[in-house]
Order: sequence, then structure tokens, then C-alpha cells
Amino acid sequence: MTDGERTIKIEPVTRLEGHGDLTIRLTKTGKVKDVQFNVTSTRFFEKFLEGRFAEEAPILAPRICGICPVPHHLASVKAVEAAWDVTPPPAAVKVRRLHINAKQLSSHGLHFFALAAPDFLAGPFGDPAKRNVAEIIKALPDVGKLALHVMQFGQDLSGSVGGRPVHPVTSVPGGLLSPFSEEKRDAFLKQLDSLKEWTTATVELAKKVIEDYWDPITKLAVVPTYYLGTHKSGNLEIYDGQIRVMDPEGKIVADFKPKDYRKHLGEHIPDHSYATHTFYLPAGYPEGVWRANTLARCNIADRMATPLAQEALEEMRAKLGRPIHATFAYHWARVIEMVQAVEEIEMLLKDPDIVSTDVKLSDVQPKKGNGVGCVEAPRGTLIHHYWTDEKGVITAANLIVATNNNIAGIEKSLLEAAKQIFEKRAHESLKLPEPKIR
Amino acid sequence: MTKRVAFAQLSSCWGCDQSLVDLHFSLLEVLPQLEILYWPAVVDFKLKDLEGLPDKSVHVGFVEGSCRTENDLHLLKVMREKSKLLVAWGSCSCFGGVQGLGNQWTLSQLTDTKFFKPETVVNPRLPTENVPAFLDKVAPNPQHVPFDIILPGCPPSSKNTFDAVTALLTGAPFDLPQKTVCDQCTRTREEKRIKKFRRTHEGKIDPKKCILDQGYLCLGFATIGFCGAQCPAANAPCKGCFGPPPGVKDHGAKIISALGGIVEMEPEELRAAFPDPIGSFYFVDYAASYLSRITSKEDSKK
Repeated sequence: MTDGERTIKIEPVTRLEGHGDLTIRLTKTGKVKDVQFNVTSTRFFEKFLEGRFAEEAPILAPRICGICPVPHHLASVKAVEAAWDVTPPPAAVKVRRLHINAKQLSSHGLHFFALAAPDFLAGPFGDPAKRNVAEIIKALPDVGKLALHVMQFGQDLSGSVGGRPVHPVTSVPGGLLSPFSEEKRDAFLKQLDSLKEWTTATVELAKKVIEDYWDPITKLAVVPTYYLGTHKSGNLEIYDGQIRVMDPEGKIVADFKPKDYRKHLGEHIPDHSYATHTFYLPAGYPEGVWRANTLARCNIADRMATPLAQEALEEMRAKLGRPIHATFAYHWARVIEMVQAVEEIEMLLKDPDIVSTDVKLSDVQPKKGNGVGCVEAPRGTLIHHYWTDEKGVITAANLIVATNNNIAGIEKSLLEAAKQIFEKRAHESLKLPEPKIR
Repeated sequence: MTKRVAFAQLSSCWGCDQSLVDLHFSLLEVLPQLEILYWPAVVDFKLKDLEGLPDKSVHVGFVEGSCRTENDLHLLKVMREKSKLLVAWGSCSCFGGVQGLGNQWTLSQLTDTKFFKPETVVNPRLPTENVPAFLDKVAPNPQHVPFDIILPGCPPSSKNTFDAVTALLTGAPFDLPQKTVCDQCTRTREEKRIKKFRRTHEGKIDPKKCILDQGYLCLGFATIGFCGAQCPAANAPCKGCFGPPPGVKDHGAKIISALGGIVEMEPEELRAAFPDPIGSFYFVDYAASYLSRITSKEDSKK
């Protein structure tokens, strides 16, 4: 480091799932030289999936992420089914859709209330000791209870379908090891009215936050990037669909089947992070840097899959347009997706097929091949790609996890935010509400 | 009196955190009794805040994950210095976790597969700037520093963590059960004579009968009965993710010797049935096995 240069280290980045530090380098005149998001660990799943029976991969893969184990379980089982040319019974697919929507609800609830809300309720300049969900529960018990209700419903439902709330075990190539029982279905149906009330209250809270923080949302870290997400006939989709890429101007530049991901996706390895930066291959790196996750999905989709979520999306688009580049709008998009998850959960719980016992093929033949399984994890597009031998043993694996699809975009938005804060002191002129927690 | 607590995450999936948050309304009972000094998933204190605490000033420290990098090892040592009671929280912390399966290869084989081999990678290289070096092998945390309490599970259930935390807060004794998952499983068992093993995609598992009796490898007989037999209850075989009951030193060796007594198959047939004995018998605890230690020694001689 040359004289007068300064490095700011945030170690670790908190209220984040995963391992990351932030390194901001400033020149001696106070200009931002660069911003690094340093992902400081990786555990080499790609290697130790090799040599395992492929049907074991859906049990191993959830251990990649304890906050989003369900998407890993399902992307993994879909990859094995694709490699072996297996189509599970339609009822099993419905139960899996219920599973991923339940997880979407709990993860979005956790993210909105536990990871993000402390910044809004204690304010961005609040005391670090007060800026957390434990303090929200103490200081704002109504908000705390709402958070706990939403998260609990999602986790309980996810656990009921998957055998356990973290690291599910029920999906196997060819379907499910156990059906979803009528008894369990009825227990969740009984809670539906309450769930809808909690969701409405969450939407109201989010609207208030958005109104209060309109200035930072529309001014801070507004960064044009490409966007990546899954859709089905234009509807926002998280279990099974086509992958779309939208360019920074809002034009759809690619729309492809997950199995063709290698034609469109490249992985750049930065020198400063163990998480690779994925990007839109035809545009190159860093020009083709994309973002995934909630806002990206809301950008690439023509519409939401359910009516109330669609109303909410229209409201966001009426205010912020399409595509939306405002990083803080991720929180808004998260709540819109929560609404869709709740509507899909209701639809699936009321579908008689959801308790069908015809959920597993009895004859599944392993074979040599390769298959891609793709779902939308809460934090973005998730791809598992396995190669298997004649016995169905994995010989190679390529994993593109949600965070990889987002991390270059995160870095880009952090660079923009750092420039605004360190060079233009933008935070001093932002209109901010009075903190709710002090 | 409130207890001063810290939660540290080494290389892991954060599932233990999720499981703790899954206490939901029970959190309301626990949280007021805790002063949280470090918990990056939830609270904004930084590493330097933890490093700046006086030694032994944390009543209970919880360590999730295992040491894959030098930073992990540093954080583990800081947690040991600052904590009066140190809890190995989850199977990664107790036994190395699923990432311990990586010990079957050298570090360069692991980094090759991750950073050099994938066809989607456009600029193969190993990152070196502002990232910590990897350790050659994963070892269970108790091989790095002494622990006071072991709380296995991948992840421990919310109830497991609640019971342990409550015991620690009140000073009540906390002991792991000597039982196995079979003791908690409600399925009907017969005398075991297994003539053929089936893989989980083959046929359909009868929801009433012992899964192992049906020829599916269910490791409930050799796994600590701490989870409530949640996987067999979901018609899925036990993978042994909570590790062995107390006193069993090598989980996989125990499983293999027990299988010898109940399987009526030629050794060659048995070997053919499990082309992947390490993955099959040491799901979360290969790093804790004698085999892994021997291989690690041999690799380090090379």
C-alpha cells in the first residue's frame, strides 16, 4: 500500500448467511479505489460428491446451506432424475412445489425480519448492540411476534414435508419416500387464515418501510446490471421453468432450458474471493455481471404467478419501472415473493393430489449420463450438474449456487454505495425517518 | 442473571443457526436471559470486538462448523480463550462434518476440482488476495482445542439446543443419551438376516417395518438416539448424521463390524454393494475416524 492510501476492513460482514469480509480501499485523496467482497471459505462439495451413489447427493447437498437446504435437496434430486431419464409422479412434483414454497416463505421471512429489518427499525446509524432481531423482539413485540409466526409456519411446513426443518430427506430419484399425510395437511389448512393475516400485516409493514426509506431506496446503490431468473410461460417460477437473462436496458437477451446453462453462463474467479463470480457469457466479464435473487426474478418475469402477488408487483413497477436497478428494492421484491409463496401454498394445500400416496416410482434404473437440476433458491438461481456412471455413481459434479450468481452484482452495488458514501457523503443528505428502536 | 454468550461460525452451512432460530416462540423464553457478545448471523459485533473481550469473560461459547481455513482456526482459538464453557455445536464442530469427506483427497486435488476443472470457469486460478489459506485436512474441533461440551447433530434439533442452553443457563447437568436411534424408532423389528442391500430409489420402503430389515442401509443401530428418529419417521433411512453414541470411538468401524453380524452375504458381495464405504459409513465423521488420521499422516509425509 502506498503512502496515504487507506484500507477499511469489515470483518466479518454481519447479518449475512455465509462467510464474508469487506475490503474497501481508498486513495490518499479519499477516492474509492476498489471494493472487495471476500468470501473466505469453501468446502469442496464438488469433489466429495464424486464416488457417491447419486441418490445420496440430495441428502449431502442440503449441507451446502442450512438456510436454503430445500432448494439444494430439490435441485440435486432433479439433476439425478435428469441424468437417469426419470420422471417422478405428478403428485410428487406438487408436494415438492409445496416444499420449496414453504422454504421460500420461511427464508424470506427470516431475511426480511431478522437480517434486514434491524437496519430499518434501528436506523442505519443505530447502535450495533441494538441493531438486531433480538432487540426488535424486545422493543417491538408486535413486529417480533409477526416475524416468529411467519418464520415458524414456513419452517414447520417445510419440516413436515421434508422430514425435518433443516436438511430434508424425503425426495429421492423417482419421487418421494413418504407422502404428505391428510392429518398434516389439515393441520396447516387450519392455520391458513392466520397465515394470510400475518402476510397482510407483513406487506403493510413493508409498505411503511418503503415509504419511510424512499430516499435511500431510490438514490443509494442504484446499479444497472444484467438479471438472471426462472420463469414459466412468463410467470415468476421457483421450481421448474426456463432461465431468462435480461440486459441492463431491460431487454430479454436469453431464454433457455437449464440443461443449456453452459452456453450462457461463465464463472470468473476473482483473486480475492473463494466464491466465483458468474456472468452472462456472451457479454463477457465484467460487462456481463448479473444479479439473481428476488428483484432479479421480479425483473425478468412478465408477471407473478398468483393474483395478489401480481397486484403487488404492478404497484412496485408503477413506482420504480422495469427493470428496477435499485438495490434496496430487493426487500420490496422479497415481500412480493412472500405473497406468491403464500398463495401457492394455499392452492397446493387445497389440491386433493397433495395427499396422494402415488408419489414414488418403484422401478428406477440408474444409468450412465449427465443431468442438470435447477430451481430458484431464495437467493437466486441454483444449478446442480452431475455426471454418473452405469451404476449411478457420481463421477463429476458442477455446482452453481445462488450466491455465485449474485456476488459480482453485490460487489458492484457495494462499489457504487462506497463511492456515494466516501466521495459524495450521500448519506448525510438522505431523508431518513426517526428510528423505531434506540 | 443474564449469561454472556457468543456464537461463532467456522466453515459450515449455518444450519445450526437456523435450528436455533427455529425455536421461534421459545426464543422469547431464552433471549432475555442472554447477553449476546458475538453472533455474526444476527448481531453486528465484529471479530475485533470478540478479540477485545477479556479472557474467560464469555460464560458459554458455541462453535459451529469445522476448521477448513486458517481464519477458522484463529476464530476457534479466540473462542477458547474467551469462553469459560465451550460447546462443540453440531456434527461439523464435534466430528468435522460432511466436509470431512474431503479428507479422502489432498488439498491440491480439492482445489483443482473447484477452481481449475469446471468447464464453466473461464480463468482457472487459486484466489490468494485477502482470503485465508486452506488447512490441508479437516479435523474435529476437539483435536484443535479442548471443549467442555459436545452437542452433535446435523444440525442438532431445536429441542436439543434448547435443552442444552437451558441446562447451561441453570447449571443443571447436561449428558448425552447412551441410546441409539433404534431405541427411539417405532418400527417393528425382526431378527436381522440381510441377504441383499437395496438403494433408496429401488422399490418402496414399508412405513411400518424396520428399514434395515427391508435391506435399506439405515444406520439407526449405530447412531446416537438424540434426534427423535426423525428420518425413519419420514420413511427415510438414518444416515448417521448425529454421530455415534458416547463411547464409540470410530463410527464407521462400529457400523462395519455390526453389519458383519447381521448380513448373510459374501464379503465380495458386500463390497460390491458399497462402492463408497467411506461416504456410506462416515457421513459426518470421516475426519474423526482412525482411517482419516492415518491417511492424513501419510499425506503429510509425502
